[in-house]
Amino acid sequence: MKYMKEAEPSYTLSTVMEEAARCLLCHDAPCSKMCPAKTDPARFIRSVRFRNFKGAAETIRENNAMGAICARVCPTERYCELGCTRSGIDKPIDIGGIQRFVTDFEQQAQMDILHKGKPNGMKVAIVGSGPSGLQTAVTLLELGYAVDIYEKNAKAGGYLTYGIPEYRLPTDIVDFEIKRITNMGAEIKYNTTIGEDITMAQLKQNYQAVVLAIGSREAKSLPLFEGNPYMETAVSFLARAKMHHGQLELPDNVLVIGGGDVAMDVATTLKRLDVKHVTDVVYEEFNEFKASQKELLGTQAHGVTIIDGYVPTAADGKKVTFKHRHIDSQLVIEADKIILAVGQKANAAGLGLQLNHDEVPFTGYQAAPQVFVTGDIAQGDKTVVWSVKRGKEVATEIDQVLGGNQHD
Amino acid sequence: MINKDLSIDFLGVHFDNPFCLSSSPVGNCYEMCKKAYDTGWGGVVFKTIGPKHFEIDEVSPRFDTLDKEDTSFVGFKNMEQIAEHSLEENLADLKRLKTEYPNKVLIASIMGTNEQDWVDLAQLVEAAGADMIEMNLSCPQMTSHAMGSDVGANPELCKKYCAAVKRGSSLPMMAKMTPNITNMVPAAQASLAGGADGIATINTVKSVANLDLKRKVGLPVINGKSSISGYSGKAVKPIALRFIQELRAAKGLEHLPISGIGGIETWEDAAEFILLGSSTVQVTTAVMQYGYRIVEDMKNGLMHYMAEQGVDHLQDLVGLANHNMLPAEELDRSYKVYPKIDLDKCIGCGRCYISCFDGAHQAMEWDDDKRQPFCNQDKCVGCQLCALVCPVGAITYGKVEMKPGRQGVPAEKVI
Ligand SMILES: Cc1cc2nc3c(=O)[nH]c(=O)nc-3n(C[C@H](O)[C@H](O)[C@H](O)COP(=O)(O)OP(=O)(O)OC[C@H]3O[C@@H](n4cnc5c(N)ncnc54)[C@H](O)[C@@H]3O)c2cc1C
Ligand SMILES: Cc1cc2nc3c(=O)[nH]c(=O)nc-3n(C[C@H](O)[C@H](O)[C@H](O)COP(=O)(O)O)c2cc1C
Ligand code: SF4
Repeated sequence: MKYMKEAEPSYTLSTVMEEAARCLLCHDAPCSKMCPAKTDPARFIRSVRFRNFKGAAETIRENNAMGAICARVCPTERYCELGCTRSGIDKPIDIGGIQRFVTDFEQQAQMDILHKGKPNGMKVAIVGSGPSGLQTAVTLLELGYAVDIYEKNAKAGGYLTYGIPEYRLPTDIVDFEIKRITNMGAEIKYNTTIGEDITMAQLKQNYQAVVLAIGSREAKSLPLFEGNPYMETAVSFLARAKMHHGQLELPDNVLVIGGGDVAMDVATTLKRLDVKHVTDVVYEEFNEFKASQKELLGTQAHGVTIIDGYVPTAADGKKVTFKHRHIDSQLVIEADKIILAVGQKANAAGLGLQLNHDEVPFTGYQAAPQVFVTGDIAQGDKTVVWSVKRGKEVATEIDQVLGGNQHD
Repeated sequence: MINKDLSIDFLGVHFDNPFCLSSSPVGNCYEMCKKAYDTGWGGVVFKTIGPKHFEIDEVSPRFDTLDKEDTSFVGFKNMEQIAEHSLEENLADLKRLKTEYPNKVLIASIMGTNEQDWVDLAQLVEAAGADMIEMNLSCPQMTSHAMGSDVGANPELCKKYCAAVKRGSSLPMMAKMTPNITNMVPAAQASLAGGADGIATINTVKSVANLDLKRKVGLPVINGKSSISGYSGKAVKPIALRFIQELRAAKGLEHLPISGIGGIETWEDAAEFILLGSSTVQVTTAVMQYGYRIVEDMKNGLMHYMAEQGVDHLQDLVGLANHNMLPAEELDRSYKVYPKIDLDKCIGCGRCYISCFDGAHQAMEWDDDKRQPFCNQDKCVGCQLCALVCPVGAITYGKVEMKPGRQGVPAEKVI
């Protein structure tokens, strides 16, 4: 099935050397400056260039515990590749592709790069096992802390596991990255919702610090579709597709509403699951699109009909009426299923956390004595690589506050 | 990040790792050597210092590269002689480096025009604080025939000048040999007889890399003319390895201490020199092209290799391959290895077919309809040219077969 197969082909030893040979090995490499997580692409591409694949793997893994995941899902055109000097000749180096080759090599060579630091006797609780919680755990473990992760779901990974589609991010890869982290000593307590099953007060009593890495776990909706039996939210649909390995009952005609990367994932997933007619109606016009160019082109290439500039104004069962935002034009689409991809929101119930548009209203990471935040609910980009950056940073901040190993 | 001890003792001097700059512009002055040490090089062979009376007057431009397809610097040609800085400046730089980096190895490269020069220079660099001396008997583009590779090609002179250096200084000393000879053993043996403690090799190979076709002159062009001069970089690695193997295979030289030089860019290159008997390695061209930073991957890669090999002391790898290199007449010629074609990997380019027809034994056949190769074993001699040209690695070693009338068990052959 097309859904289960990784869409991008991977490099071979000879093609990765060709791509690495395109790298100009710049003096003050902009790519490394532009990676939010400081994964240091200039350094690992140079290692590949000089045939030190193990060294390349060390650079990636030590800087970014989600290395194999970022290799596949980073919007590199906005980060490292945006800075690539090679664009002055033709096009940027395929940094994500090289990173994927190296992390695949790391896995095949069974390298064990991350190690726990000398225990400092302190314990930290992390709420949420998405990329930010996982990276926080790794950096804290390296600094000598004991770490327990509390996860509401039955599987760890947050949107890595329940959101990003299989053809872009195989479950095997995510599971393997998580296993490295549990092997390091992080304990994950599944099916446990903080604020319901365990209170914040209990956590604060049992741990020196609590990190809220709760992401935006709930879908936003539109009042128009409340109670509509044909409607499903994007994150619900994507999670079902991933959990059922693409084995879903789907009608031939599906309408998607939304124009971000999540909407593109939904539309492309539907096509990869052989849905005949997929129509995506988008609020923004093409020139103001939120989805990345790469995702948009991918979706179009799969044959999705994308209609830009329309807002839904009425919904009657399967029938949805849209109006154009600027011109006098109306559109009625009837579909057997309607998927709403209009954003996600955080749920901080019982956590004593003030959020403003799903973000904390302050910069930095400390919310209250003993309480820290990280990941999508902290300020900044809502991407995996930013989650890694914030995971590293919150761990360092906690270490500064708690004093860590400094008394040895 | 892996951390393994890369240190090694060579001629009684302790190197924290085997990677050294070879004598050339990459180790021209204090600032450069300082940056190299700070980047992690274990030692520096300072740019060759000559006698005060020998005037250095360089041409401009002075380099050229051999390119192949998109790869530049396959080989590198230079027309440079020895240090352009004054003797006083060089000695002052040596002194400052040794004071600031007492634990890094500082090797002075010297070159005289007569015995007295060699004695004097040896005394001067020892007084300046060098840990070791390297005699440059090998620069192929000196403006004097009493210097450089003309000396290195003459065993008598090698011996005489080595003895002169030993009179001037008690430091450990290596003689740097030229590859511009048919056999390096006599020059090396003469140097040892003169008092050298070890051998450094190779210096550059005499060359003409390219011609300007319109002006009908070699490159680089110096006021309309050019000159034969030294070639280095990746292209000379096979030549360097060959000389090193020949030295270690010569009677009495089985344990010859060697500092290996020539075309080293990666940890794999370095490991090859070490396996053929080099205790330390030296690099110039790759540093000129990429900078001192290449040592980071050379060190890290070598550590991983040692870990894979289960080796804790670099010394344990030195010379491990020497005994596996035999004279041509002693090789096992009783069998052949057929190519194995993986049609799932084959993308149908036909390069194996072309190379086998035009460059081998017309054994590879081509199915025009399927665009697929097929090996006819009646004609195949097992040269494996096809495997070497395949762009996707679809051709590998396959069935091993004894030649007609030969004894032996194919499965026991180490291929
Ligand atoms: C469909 C989709 C596609 C995406 N594609 C990309 C992409 O290609 N590239 C990219 O960089 N980013 C992408 N993103 C964004 C990226 O996934 C997020 O930025 C990232 O997952 C945020 O990480 P996080 O750790 O903050 O939160 P999450 O990944 O949301 O993880 C939060 C975790 O906390 C748990 N949790 C929440 N509350 C509680 C509680 N009270 N108690 C216990 N556990 C709790 C949740 O169950 C969840 O497991 C995508 C997002 C989606 C939805
Ligand atoms: C520009 C240039 C200048 C050199 N100058 C010297 C020198 O002064 N003394 C010396 O012993 N060798 C000199 N060499 C030779 C190098 O030290 C080295 O032996 C040779 O280049 C092979 O190594 P490589 O392939 O790593 O460059 C020079 C080489 C180059 C390219
Ligand atoms: S490399 Fe430096 S010294 Fe040489 S020509 Fe260029 S600027 Fe001048």
